[in-house]
Amino acid sequence: MATSSTVNARGSLAKVIPVLLLVIFLVDVGLRLERVDRLTFRAWEALTTYRPPGAAFERNRRYYKARTYGDLAAMGNLPALRQYRPEAFTTDRLGFRNPPGAASGPVAAILVGDSFAVGCAVNDDENLTTRLSALVGCRLYNAAGIDPHPDRILALARKLDLRGNLVIHEYNEDFEMPPVPTERRRRHQRAMAWMDGWVGGPFGRARGILTVSPLEILSERALRNVENGRILPNQYSAAVVKGRLANGDPMLFRKSSVDGFYRKKAVPVAYWKWLQEELEAGGLQLVVVITPSKYRVYRPFVVEPRGLPEGASDYVDRAEAEVRAAGIPVINLTAPISASAAQHLQEGSYLYWRDDVHWNAQGIEVGAEAIREGLQDYLRCSPPNRPAFPGQ
Amino acid sequence: MLFNSLPFLYLFLPIAYLVFWRLSGQTRRYVWLAITGYVFYSFWNYRFCALMLFSTVVSYAGGLGLLRWQDRLRRRLCLIVPVTADLALLGFFKYTNFALTSVNGLSSWLGFQTRFPVLDMVLPVGISFYTFHTVTYIVDAYRGVVTPTRSFPKFAAYVSLFPQLVAGPIVRFRQIAGDLGRIDRAEETRDLDLAWSFFAIGMIKKVLIADTIGTIINPALADYVSLGTMGAWLCVLGYAYQVYYDFGGYSDMAVGLGYMFGLRLPQNFNSPYKAANIADFWRRWHVSMSSFFRDYVYIPLGGSRGSRPKVWRNLIVTMLLAGLWHGASWPCVLWGGFIGLLLVGYLLVAPWWQRLPYVAQRAGTFFLFVVSLAIFRSQSLKMIGGLLQRMFSWHSGTSFVGIEVLVAAILVAGAFAHFGPNTFEMEHRWSPSYATGLAALFVMCLFMLYGSAARPFLYFQF
Repeated sequence: MATSSTVNARGSLAKVIPVLLLVIFLVDVGLRLERVDRLTFRAWEALTTYRPPGAAFERNRRYYKARTYGDLAAMGNLPALRQYRPEAFTTDRLGFRNPPGAASGPVAAILVGDSFAVGCAVNDDENLTTRLSALVGCRLYNAAGIDPHPDRILALARKLDLRGNLVIHEYNEDFEMPPVPTERRRRHQRAMAWMDGWVGGPFGRARGILTVSPLEILSERALRNVENGRILPNQYSAAVVKGRLANGDPMLFRKSSVDGFYRKKAVPVAYWKWLQEELEAGGLQLVVVITPSKYRVYRPFVVEPRGLPEGASDYVDRAEAEVRAAGIPVINLTAPISASAAQHLQEGSYLYWRDDVHWNAQGIEVGAEAIREGLQDYLRCSPPNRPAFPGQ
Repeated sequence: MLFNSLPFLYLFLPIAYLVFWRLSGQTRRYVWLAITGYVFYSFWNYRFCALMLFSTVVSYAGGLGLLRWQDRLRRRLCLIVPVTADLALLGFFKYTNFALTSVNGLSSWLGFQTRFPVLDMVLPVGISFYTFHTVTYIVDAYRGVVTPTRSFPKFAAYVSLFPQLVAGPIVRFRQIAGDLGRIDRAEETRDLDLAWSFFAIGMIKKVLIADTIGTIINPALADYVSLGTMGAWLCVLGYAYQVYYDFGGYSDMAVGLGYMFGLRLPQNFNSPYKAANIADFWRRWHVSMSSFFRDYVYIPLGGSRGSRPKVWRNLIVTMLLAGLWHGASWPCVLWGGFIGLLLVGYLLVAPWWQRLPYVAQRAGTFFLFVVSLAIFRSQSLKMIGGLLQRMFSWHSGTSFVGIEVLVAAILVAGAFAHFGPNTFEMEHRWSPSYATGLAALFVMCLFMLYGSAARPFLYFQF
């Protein structure tokens, strides 16, 4: 029986283990001081880790990786299904995905939205803002990557040389819209925006250092090599659904997106109504663009998809109808994207990455063209020299 | 917060330890231990701290009453009020929904339309354990086995002592009162080697063995209908080692943490897989729980006195309650009943059983426990049937990922569990090479913790 008297100090664990804990803790802290860029597989994680509170990404950064791959292949720990491609991702001085200097030149409209609008998984010259700007002939500002909050949008509009009054809100059906904030929450957000002006950079850096551990990333990577579905069960694969298309190609979908497709959910029209009122009070006009999820677009081509309960898949149509009924201009990309996806499939090409949630450059091109047509009544590129806000 | 988590190792434990040893005086150390207990508990749900405080205050007051009054009526009141309050809380949070769903199921089966709405509530973690701490205190005080304490900080420190707060061992006040009484004279470094040795071994058991086995068998058992006979046996065998190394590991870590604060917690697992019969098994498995049911349920029911049917009844009732304590579900009740029947069966065949070769007795005991775990691990009555059917009739089935690793883990885990010394039997006199090996395994555990979210201990759900 072990008692204190039988223990001697020959191999003193009382010293060894606390010292080991301390050493590993110091290694962890030391590694946190280094940027995580080299440990990331794509731009999003690298550029959001140290972002200032009011921005979508770190400011004035350029990220380039020759072999990035899709978020679903990463989430599901499925290296065999990766589609390698290069990714160049540049941010401006305000912390949004635009070329350097974009925040200084004249812009005709602001694009806000989720990672589809940011252009996750495509290069700088392929994202929605770039392509739409090229199609309409005047420059749009990419402010996607933050919650579409009127205070933030109005504050941004004041910082830009905005020559129009249009705010395009790209909304992917999988995106969870925030609730209409309470007054208290708005005060908090304003305080954060104020703070951003003073200490945003250091605050973002400190938050990144505190919340992201390179040692965690390295350890997880090592574990993923073992929990690969051959040596040990791949517990990560539960986050994705592996589909097979009629042509035999595998395609990954996010599990929550597939489940969401079959669930009847409410349209967050109250938020848009509130956003529109707030923006109108600030002299801006809102247009909502609905982008379909990858599962919605490719489900008709998946071999043996789940059965469709009645009324479960009409979300985008309901969203379009309800937003329009609320008096907000809306462009629904589901029909053009779905039709084009079917056409491309016959040629063996896709509008969404097979290993990623997001659309690819071809999908963005189709979406941009449909948005251009829908915006004809709202977007004016000339005269380009009239400031939208007095006193800019 | 889990012992096997980075916030515990890097933040909570160093602060709790460093402040504790810099405080002098009993009361200050009691207060600090109580504070750390409540902070530790609040990481799950701070609102339930009020529940634990209520239980503590009621039982403390009951203890004071027992100190003050000698007449039978008031002493009985001091017993009944706190025990009823404690058990009512446990009953409400743990068993209300089980009762409602069972009544709903029964009424549906009988063809009635009545449906009671199920309450939307969370089971406060560890309530089964701290309730038993307070119940044993008040019952022992009533029986005169312990002298109730007048010090509220001391009692609060006992109930909320973080090493044993959420999953035991169910330490009785009398087992720890001596160390608590000497807490101001405890020496910081006296048991530190022992403490870290227990803690490191517990961590290795939990993270490297139990969690690895769990990673393999959990998905396989989730799809138990695809398992063949071999796969079903491997999974249930794996679960036998998973649950032993998981809870045994937790208990070792708790003992180690106790030593860090100058407190000796009792042994909870005394090599149960070396048991020669099922009665022996229950003297070795989760000792603090089985001795609780022995002392506070089985013996008050009459124990082994009286006619044989009465003894059988006492055994079955005790084990049914033990099963219900493990979980508010019918598989757990059924498991308790099955164990009760095994104990009764052993009483009937004991003379014959004891004539078997010792190896056969041990193997037979282990076999029966493994079979019982097929019931315990199942999430429904349907799964119990399906799993047992696969174990006891031939099914070809499909293989599952990790089967080779599972076999290796079972061999290693089995070798230590059946033939190696338990943590209390070890000398903990590590030569530099063994200490290095242990430290290396501990570092591996840390990297596992870094690489994946800490996995809760199985007994937290009870």
